[in-house]
Amino acid sequence: MRTARRWLYSSAIELWLPVLLLAAWWFASQDSLSPYFPSLRYILDSFRQDWLGANAIRNLRPSLTVLAAGFGLAVVAGVAVGAVLGLSRRTERATRPLLELVRAVPGVALLPVFIALIGIGTDMKILLVASGAVWPVLLNTTDGVRSTEPLLIDMAVSYGMGRWRRLRSIILPAAAPQIFAGARTALAISVIIMVVSETVGSQGGIGYFLLAAQRSFQITDMWGTIIALGVLGYLLNVLFRLTEAIVLRWHRLYQARLSAPRR
Amino acid sequence: MVLAQLGVIALAVGLWWYLSGVAPGSVPSPVRTFAELGALVGTGALWTAVAQTSAAWLIGIAVCTLVGIPAGLLIGASRIATDSTRLTIDFVRNIPPVALVPLGLLLWGPTRNMVLLLVISGTIWPIVIQSIYASRQAEPQLRDVARVFHLGRRWWLTHIFLPGVTPFVMTGLRVAATICLLLTITGELFGGAPGVGTQIQNAQIGNDNPQMYAYVVVAALLGLLVNSLIWIAQRRLLRWHPSFRKGS
Amino acid sequence: MTQVDQRIAAPALEAAALGHHYGEHHVLKDISFEVGTGEFVCIVGPSGVGKTTLLRCLSGLQDPSVGSVRFRGAQVAGPPRELALVFQDYSRSLLPWASVLDNVSLPLRAGGMRKRAAGEAARAALGEVGLGGADPSAYPWQLSGGMQQRVAIARALAYQPSIVLMDEPFASVDAQTRADLEDLVRRLQVDLGLTVLLVTHDIDEAVYLADRIVALAGSPAGVAEVVTVGLGPERDQLDTKLLPRFAELRAHVYRLIRGARTSGPVTTEE
Repeated sequence: MRTARRWLYSSAIELWLPVLLLAAWWFASQDSLSPYFPSLRYILDSFRQDWLGANAIRNLRPSLTVLAAGFGLAVVAGVAVGAVLGLSRRTERATRPLLELVRAVPGVALLPVFIALIGIGTDMKILLVASGAVWPVLLNTTDGVRSTEPLLIDMAVSYGMGRWRRLRSIILPAAAPQIFAGARTALAISVIIMVVSETVGSQGGIGYFLLAAQRSFQITDMWGTIIALGVLGYLLNVLFRLTEAIVLRWHRLYQARLSAPRR
Repeated sequence: MVLAQLGVIALAVGLWWYLSGVAPGSVPSPVRTFAELGALVGTGALWTAVAQTSAAWLIGIAVCTLVGIPAGLLIGASRIATDSTRLTIDFVRNIPPVALVPLGLLLWGPTRNMVLLLVISGTIWPIVIQSIYASRQAEPQLRDVARVFHLGRRWWLTHIFLPGVTPFVMTGLRVAATICLLLTITGELFGGAPGVGTQIQNAQIGNDNPQMYAYVVVAALLGLLVNSLIWIAQRRLLRWHPSFRKGS
Repeated sequence: MTQVDQRIAAPALEAAALGHHYGEHHVLKDISFEVGTGEFVCIVGPSGVGKTTLLRCLSGLQDPSVGSVRFRGAQVAGPPRELALVFQDYSRSLLPWASVLDNVSLPLRAGGMRKRAAGEAARAALGEVGLGGADPSAYPWQLSGGMQQRVAIARALAYQPSIVLMDEPFASVDAQTRADLEDLVRRLQVDLGLTVLLVTHDIDEAVYLADRIVALAGSPAGVAEVVTVGLGPERDQLDTKLLPRFAELRAHVYRLIRGARTSGPVTTEE
């Protein structure tokens, strides 16, 4: 009974604002004659048509392929290279100026370069997403690996753990919270670059759809796509948080313990 | 060490050179690229583009800082405000900002306003979220210190609260500054507003590879500048913070 | 005792039937004792017994659920101006972004003192705690733990309190530093005529420092006994601790704390 009431209260307090905003939008746009701000009802209709059910799969598949492959590549490459740099101080310092320079390139600016190099295609998009998203993962991994508690490493050495074992069982888990923080930024960047990459020469995907809708003045479709992107971004974030909550369970508990008031 | 660093850069330039030999059609050699860049430095086009991009970046980050930090700190200061806004902020910030480019184009065409809509809608969230977090993390022990020693509201604010939240806010600002530049260039490249991004796009359309590479280098230099600015600001403001401490 | 006598002898700090609970969890029960003006009192009890909660109630940082606290005869609501508190964790109670001098002078400047006068008062307080030679523009975290706690004590002294409350002030420094700090606090208390109330889990420390000891025990914690120490004003780390009276008191307080504790459920906190 008591927990039920608490649950009700906490959902009420989290929900009132979104509900209010949606209602405000709904009623304010109800009889809208503005071509740019159509009624929310039509927007939701178009959202349902384009982004729910059978159409959704057709429209989303190219985007999700690019996103998953690009982001996945960024994480794998970022962790691998980041770990190497984190383990070897000399390599890290030698490559730092170059890395700072390369990472400073805004990912999207490379789009024309990639088109010229690889041509327009899914491979190009995947590589573009990966090349823009890899940096936060790489830098955070380097940082996390480097700041592993030296005592833990001494402990591992004293128990005769080999290099590979140390990396897998000690260094990477210790760096994991930072790696996840980097991956979260990387995910947001991936979505931006994915959308932009789809605006050139492709025949599908959210980015293509968005631009096509705007160019042909299908304003309700455009708004529907904006909502679809919002939902996609939100769901990706939820998925990410779930993964983080499972993988970093110890870290969450540990942090809670550290920040608890000491009485 | 400097020698090793130069060696690594030389190696990268060598790789670039090699690639330009393999695919001369799509990759211009470093020499040609930098010759082109040298030629561009003498023209007004480059500087106009740099000024336009920098101005959009500056306005974007300034608006986001001035609005985002106070808003975030206020929300974070109240439990009810934090809970009430959590879901809304979580949803809105996950909308990829590029989604708003078409709307901006409809409203204003390929202009700075369009770029700013994109830039602000994407840049403000890291700042707001870190500010909320900062407000929540305020050291409870220092609250007690302020009460026992009767620090008034003003002194609490300027000497305890604000210095305490600065590290968290700076983290948000660092992420925001990078995203801000990324989105400025995106707005130019994708939406056609004038700036470095458009120049890259134009060079590509005109099949002028050396010029395209030269402008990409310019974009990289801008990125480097932004990173250095943030680094300097952090060093100045957070000399006391564990990540900057020397000889503790 | 006549009315007049009572006012003259009004205790500096007084807890009357004080109790506290967090929700269903009762921490403190029916705690009554007084701290006389100019007296050194130690509250001693095992870890997790609710000592910090008690100290927060006594200092006015927290309202007790039951009972009341009086400072010089007046009901406490919020920290009194003449009271200063030294916290257990200096790393969390000193401002890491402010220099040593600014840390000590901040309360004074917030109280309206000019920057120069506050700086001078802070320097004097730093000298008082033996930091006269240290660089006042250093950050606190550049100093050793013992020195940081000295800074925290200087901050309390500069504030010119009539009573100083200390929460496990020496819990996170090494044994030698701890002995030095104990002697420092004891000397300051005598020299400046301060009233000191110090909370500790260490029985030796309590016996060594205090004029009287309030022994806490049980769950919820109550006063097992108020012990008068009677070792005189002069204490010495070696000689005092070798006195038979010292050993006797230590054993007595130990039994008080342990004895009452076994009757309640044994807490496993920390």
